[in-house]
Amino acid sequence: MSEVYGPAARAEDPRRILAMGGGGFTMQERSDALDRFVLELTGKEVPRICFLPTASGDPREQVTRFYERFGDWRCEPSMLSLFHLGRDRIDPIAHLLSQDAVYVGGGSMRNMLAIWREHGIDDAMRTAWERGIVLAGLSAGAMCWFEGGVSMSGGAPEVVHALGLLPGSLSVHLGGESERLPVYREAVATGKLPPGYAADDGAAAVYHGTSLVECVASRRGARVVRVEAAGDGEVVEIPEPIRLLPGAAAPQAPSSEPADILELRALRAGRHRWD
Amino acid sequence: MRSPQIVAFGGGGFSMEWGNTLLDDYVLALTGVARPRVCFLPTASGDADHYVVRFYRAFAASRCEPSHISLFRRETGVGDPRAHLLAQDLIYVGGGSLVSLLGTWGAHRIDEYLREAWAAGVVLCGGSAGALCWFSHALSGFHEGPARRIEGLGLLPWSSAVHYYEEEDRRERFIEAISDGMPAGYGAGDSAALRFVGTELAEVVSSRPRARAAFVFADASGAIVERQLPVRYLGVSAVEDLPAEEAVAA
Repeated sequence: MSEVYGPAARAEDPRRILAMGGGGFTMQERSDALDRFVLELTGKEVPRICFLPTASGDPREQVTRFYERFGDWRCEPSMLSLFHLGRDRIDPIAHLLSQDAVYVGGGSMRNMLAIWREHGIDDAMRTAWERGIVLAGLSAGAMCWFEGGVSMSGGAPEVVHALGLLPGSLSVHLGGESERLPVYREAVATGKLPPGYAADDGAAAVYHGTSLVECVASRRGARVVRVEAAGDGEVVEIPEPIRLLPGAAAPQAPSSEPADILELRALRAGRHRWD
Repeated sequence: MRSPQIVAFGGGGFSMEWGNTLLDDYVLALTGVARPRVCFLPTASGDADHYVVRFYRAFAASRCEPSHISLFRRETGVGDPRAHLLAQDLIYVGGGSLVSLLGTWGAHRIDEYLREAWAAGVVLCGGSAGALCWFSHALSGFHEGPARRIEGLGLLPWSSAVHYYEEEDRRERFIEAISDGMPAGYGAGDSAALRFVGTELAEVVSSRPRARAAFVFADASGAIVERQLPVRYLGVSAVEDLPAEEAVAA
């Protein structure tokens, strides 16, 4: 652990990215293991962490969930809205570059990248990365760091090219959606996308510099799968070894209560559980 | 076929003047259709739910065929935005961040579709960012720091500023920008709306009696001139003189 995340590794190459297939506070994941892990990656006692919900249009409920989760942890949470700069009066680039971690939410990758470009955030993200600010995110906020991914930004799943800080490609919500994976397989098979990974909700790839160092999960059974072209329009898929994070969700405990009662309870509590 | 028309609100309409429907009634009437098809684009707000809800309350199905396009949730809603936009009588663009609006539109080619719709006679309108976007240049304050110059879609070859008299320094900055070489253009105050037919100003209307707008340009000698524009108030001038029940109905 300390060899991988300790100061020595940081001194060699400070660049850190955590790419999640899904999960974390924005998806109301029951386990907070991935969100805690983002803070751990900074190596700081009280890290400054900034949330960017650009890909969803900066909706209030995501911001609320961010403060609900990070508000009483040892960190300095903030958020950056590119739709409310007039109200917030934040210099977005200076703010980003003063963080220890940046956490990017999911949504429309196409919109997010276009908006970032207009505000100069794309270049700022590269600078942040090179300075050792941890770049973390899920879904659109994970695919954006790679050369490309498969996004639903246009309605149907399609290849969208991204920032290219990391070599290769990423597809997300592996087990959670039926439409995205076939488009990803085909894009890799035909060379439209370089080879890469498909990640489940609750699974994430950790990069030091441009190398994958490990995969982590916030729940048992979450996968990261390597997807490569095998010629003749086929792909090979190789599951990556994965480390279960401390505090990961235990397998569903058998319950004596009927499922509909449990569902009603979840609704009453205002919680829609995705796992 | 209708001529290309754009109505740019300096501020006002359902999002800013809830209960005062004069500007919204005006743009509906411009379509010349009894029950116009009206599409709302809330992009500049990040497709904020509360804004979409307010649109549907203001543009009730009793008097128009309302719809909206969300560019953040394309997997739901309108499948072909181009066909949908071209089938409208009125396209209503909401306020918010002009920079984020232009970026998002570009990513979905909405800018091209709006140009086509405009040429085809679909009336285009909006307030704040939804007004500035139609011009070649805009002075926008919807970001950090002082207001700055932003290039818009350029359907109208003028520069523009909104909340012209209401926002601190807006008017001074606009005049300064034009003296620095930004094209001549229009400053519209809250409740004032500029109606363009083609690329020329046809009239200025307002939803409040004392709303103002100005045209700012460099004259032959290079001096900057700010010319106040005549404004036609859309309401009844002395509302307080109306019988009580009519005032309530208004």
